[in-house]
Amino acid sequence: MTWVRRVGWRHAVALLAVAFSLFPVVFVLSAAVNPLGTLNSTALVPTDVSGENFDDLFRTRPFESWYVNSILIAGLSSFAAVTLSMCAAYAFSRMRFRGRRVGLLSLLLIQMFPQFLAIVAIFLMFTTIGEYWPGIGFNTPWGLILLYLGGALGVNTWLMKGFLDTVPRELDESATMDGASHAQAFYRIILPLVAPILAVTGLLVFIGTINEFLMANVFLTDLDSKTLSVGLFGLIEGERNNNFGMFCAGSLLTAIPTVMIFQFLQRYIVSGLTSGAVKG
Amino acid sequence: MTTDHAAPPVPRQRGGRRSVDSGGPPVPRGSQGLGGLAGKVVVLGLVAGIAVWGAFPLIGARAWPGLAVLVVVTALIFYVYLSGRHIPAKYLLPGTLFLIAFQILPVLLTVSTAFSNFGDGHRGSKQDAIVAIRNASITQVEGGTEYGLTVATRGGELVFLLVDPTGAAFLGDADGLEPLPAGDVTVSAGRVTRAQGYTVLNLGQVGARSAEVTAFSVPTANGAIQSTGASRASERQANRIYDESCDCIVERSTGNRWTADNAAGSFVDSQGGHLAQGWRVGVGFDNFTRALTEPTIAGPFFRTLVWNFAFSLGTVFTTFALGLLCALALHSPRIRFRRTYRILLVLPYAMPSFAMLLVWRDMFNADFGLINRLFNLNVDWMGQPWTARFAVILVQLWLGYPYMFLVATGALQAIPNEMNEAALVDGATPGQRFRRVTLPLLMVALTPLLIASFAYNFNNFNAIALTTEGGPFPADNTTIGATDLLITYTYRLAFGAQGAQYGFAAAISFYIFLIVAVVSAISFRRTRRQEEVYG
Amino acid sequence: MRIRTAGVVAAMALALAAAGCGDDKPADSGTGQQQTGGSLVIWADEKRTVALKPFAEKFGTDNGVTVEVKAVTKDLQTNFVTASQSGSGPDIVVGAHDWIGNLVQNGAIEPVQLSAAQKSAFQEIATKAVTFNGQLYGVPYAVENIALIRNTDLAPTAPATIEELVASAKQLKAAGKVSELMCLQVGQNGDAYHIYPLYTSGGGYLFGTKSNGDYDPKDLGVGKPESVAAFTKIRALGEKGEGALKRSIEGGNSISTFTGKKCAYLISGPWAITDIKKASITYDITPVPGFAGGRAAQPFVGVQAFYVASKGKNKAVAQEFVANYLTKTDLAAALYQAEPRPPALAAALDQVKATDPDAQKFLDAGKGGAILPAIPEMAAIWDPFGKAEAAIVGGADPNATITAAAKTISGQINK
Repeated sequence: MTWVRRVGWRHAVALLAVAFSLFPVVFVLSAAVNPLGTLNSTALVPTDVSGENFDDLFRTRPFESWYVNSILIAGLSSFAAVTLSMCAAYAFSRMRFRGRRVGLLSLLLIQMFPQFLAIVAIFLMFTTIGEYWPGIGFNTPWGLILLYLGGALGVNTWLMKGFLDTVPRELDESATMDGASHAQAFYRIILPLVAPILAVTGLLVFIGTINEFLMANVFLTDLDSKTLSVGLFGLIEGERNNNFGMFCAGSLLTAIPTVMIFQFLQRYIVSGLTSGAVKG
Repeated sequence: MTTDHAAPPVPRQRGGRRSVDSGGPPVPRGSQGLGGLAGKVVVLGLVAGIAVWGAFPLIGARAWPGLAVLVVVTALIFYVYLSGRHIPAKYLLPGTLFLIAFQILPVLLTVSTAFSNFGDGHRGSKQDAIVAIRNASITQVEGGTEYGLTVATRGGELVFLLVDPTGAAFLGDADGLEPLPAGDVTVSAGRVTRAQGYTVLNLGQVGARSAEVTAFSVPTANGAIQSTGASRASERQANRIYDESCDCIVERSTGNRWTADNAAGSFVDSQGGHLAQGWRVGVGFDNFTRALTEPTIAGPFFRTLVWNFAFSLGTVFTTFALGLLCALALHSPRIRFRRTYRILLVLPYAMPSFAMLLVWRDMFNADFGLINRLFNLNVDWMGQPWTARFAVILVQLWLGYPYMFLVATGALQAIPNEMNEAALVDGATPGQRFRRVTLPLLMVALTPLLIASFAYNFNNFNAIALTTEGGPFPADNTTIGATDLLITYTYRLAFGAQGAQYGFAAAISFYIFLIVAVVSAISFRRTRRQEEVYG
Repeated sequence: MRIRTAGVVAAMALALAAAGCGDDKPADSGTGQQQTGGSLVIWADEKRTVALKPFAEKFGTDNGVTVEVKAVTKDLQTNFVTASQSGSGPDIVVGAHDWIGNLVQNGAIEPVQLSAAQKSAFQEIATKAVTFNGQLYGVPYAVENIALIRNTDLAPTAPATIEELVASAKQLKAAGKVSELMCLQVGQNGDAYHIYPLYTSGGGYLFGTKSNGDYDPKDLGVGKPESVAAFTKIRALGEKGEGALKRSIEGGNSISTFTGKKCAYLISGPWAITDIKKASITYDITPVPGFAGGRAAQPFVGVQAFYVASKGKNKAVAQEFVANYLTKTDLAAALYQAEPRPPALAAALDQVKATDPDAQKFLDAGKGGAILPAIPEMAAIWDPFGKAEAAIVGGADPNATITAAAKTISGQINK
């Protein structure tokens, strides 16, 4: 009885939650392996199993290119975004300067402006940029990454700042006392301590970038240079298409890098995530 | 048994500790170390190299303002990193530069469109509209001749070599048409293929001088001969021309006039009709007042606002509740398969969100959807307002609770056990321990995230657009649906009917932005007070 | 230290600049044009890009021009207008003819001057569709309209009226052979395009026509008694009536329901044929049947065309491609093979007819159809009309619904 009270209920909750999480995913899986590949002909449990949709996906579309593009763009963006964000968070947390509070709040507020309206402005900007420096203009992944970096400072900076706040100032000060510069204190002492939050933020930005559609649709128009989100959307765009099976196959494959990264970072993410933030 | 990688919890001190320097922790001079110096040199060298590389096209195009901006920014970077002061700036500068360039600037540009009538039919300048009106009215002259065209050059200058339907060849240039002696030219398939004294251009070469070729015209009695592509030409005339003296468009064939209405940005005639091509004009605060005063918009605005709040609050609350519950459930060291559970629970977050939104929409289909089939229901999910709202929040719960689960797990692990044990010793029940000890500490850490999640879901366009598209719509009002958020409503207003109205949409977005900003700012103020209580 | 740092930095910068200088100058002198004479950029949606690429590239290699076909997955029209205005648009865009009104009012496209001989080579309905304000704006390449596609195994004879269709479908359903009566997509927010034949058969119209045949935006048919009458008949077919029209049948599942043999009658266009053939269903194509005693059911006729962007960088080659290259028969026939929509070029249609009777059958189903209005005011119709249709199919009162829709539409038009 105590087992039920102490542990059993936990398993029950976890199992229910897992069922809730998984059943749409199982549906997607069964649609992906269903050779008929349409919505109506798919049940929750796969009835007919075949790799046809996966084959078709690779055959009729440059899926590998999409994959590489997405991973490249998302990987670089998340790395750069985490770096920029971390530096800024360090400044917000450790230093006191005019406009600190206002700056923090405005970081959050700026991102609340609806993206789809800014498209016109972004078109204008990148047309000009593309005229002078075609290497980072339209239809280049670098231009897209630059655009994403505009959003590097935001909620993530808040997250990081909160965690940095919990790392005691004494550490900084003892380091500088020992003759290190502020940069060295930052790299050598602080950074390793906040590895968990770096991992979390990196993962979040990675997921967000892979899912981003609006800008990628406009920026990357060559069939080969599209990202996964745009390419997959094109599969089922216009009601006249019934590539549901291929679409599900593609979605499953898209989830793989995220899951792998999560698995790899699990020990960073979960242990000591907000360590010290909550204390007595 | 928590494996803590971070430093042991130490009370954070607020308020009392202020650094001596205004810039941060005290920095002894000259203590950079060789690695740091090398790094700095490399980075600054790169910056300088990039700045120079970037300057060349600007200089080539004589874009002096752009060059000035580049120089100023580069100088700023150098100043900040080479000077010993301004420590915060050193950390803030890179991110801020990107922020300004790619977030703030577009937002400012967009807000500035709110003061204009920018939209379909009013996109360009007045000159653009005049050119477009003229070009759209170019027609072939009645009974005019069709020519086979060959673009050629004579001494580097562009000329047209034309062949009329009888096979006679002509030279067309800025002075007019001139017959060419038959002996000098070779005509085949209705076009000149060789001509003495002229270099015939192939299509590629024509493309290289495309702008010239399309602008080139050979004046004739009734109009001008212009090209279609590189192999045909015909005599044409523009029917509508701009007359500067009356600031109007005159139609040659009928004599109709359209006078420029510079306040509205279009050419209007005496009966109130207007030409399709207009131009962009400033309208001051019109868009803002229109958003507030037009009954079809102002009326439903409040109802949508209420649902918007309910949706975001509902999403935040449910995702947090479920995420926290799962985190609590998996928190005990005694539970096995923890890592497996975690991966499975996070799976919804890993799947591409727009894909899953579409899948969920199909699952809620009344006749064919999985939900009705699996649970043997007959609910018209998307057809009734409340079931649609429930469905939308359920989908958001599915998409968002893994994130809350992750952060709640971390936060729980950070709470030192001593607190709980002390409460236990004092005789508190698990429920009381949770409510009085665990929860408050959690909230301190997680409130910023909750607020951020609220702000994100307030403007969560995809969540509604890909599932219900704002519906269901009551029979008597097709502009506002039961699950419409302010942002989806704005999108429909702006881009739905009668073309895009960016200016108007920008004004409405500004209002939405104000609302969210105020709510978030207030919540943050209260968080700050909370933080200070708990240290 | 700082001065030393600055000095080292300056030296590095000069070195980098010198390196960059060397290979940057030639590239920076132009604006990115290739030496072979300009490039041609074409924008199309994904399906058409895949079909168009080989032909466009052949044109390029034959003529020494670099041709790039780019696929914009979503919002092609809006993105084209925005990009065009800001100067980074393509030279040619491929799209439906009902874009013309909007593209013209934004100054995004220019008329194409075809010779009389070239014009007559196209089907009349195709040239009419791309004519706006008396000018020809695009070169059509495919004509499409919806028709009734029926599974001949389940339904050997073509129904003459919609009532016959429903009766026959009910029999099939009672026998357990099908689970849905009819696959006509409605969706939660309606689909004006697919319901239009029944709407016209019931007596309704969208816009009146002027004396010269153009649509007259001042004469709105929605809201008039005929439109209410038409929708009353449609309501009778809906969920609270016969159950032939359902909101749960939408674009994403109507064709697949038919190919899954769950319904015997599908109302759709040429784009459905590929899937139907893949599912090995024996089918026949006939015009959409109207109401018994009503007018003829007029489907919308849509035309896919190539447009020349007015702000493109290479208009000369664009016009050459669109006006002089696309008007060749074998190209049109080859495009048909890549994507089966009836060609607009009459000669190409004859060529295709021989091997594929479907093209002609679709066109026959579209005879007497109404050209999809290209006037900008049409944009105000789609959304309210569709939603009204969905509400009525769900059982709402036609009078109240249509009156409200008409009010919304006219409010938008008269703004």
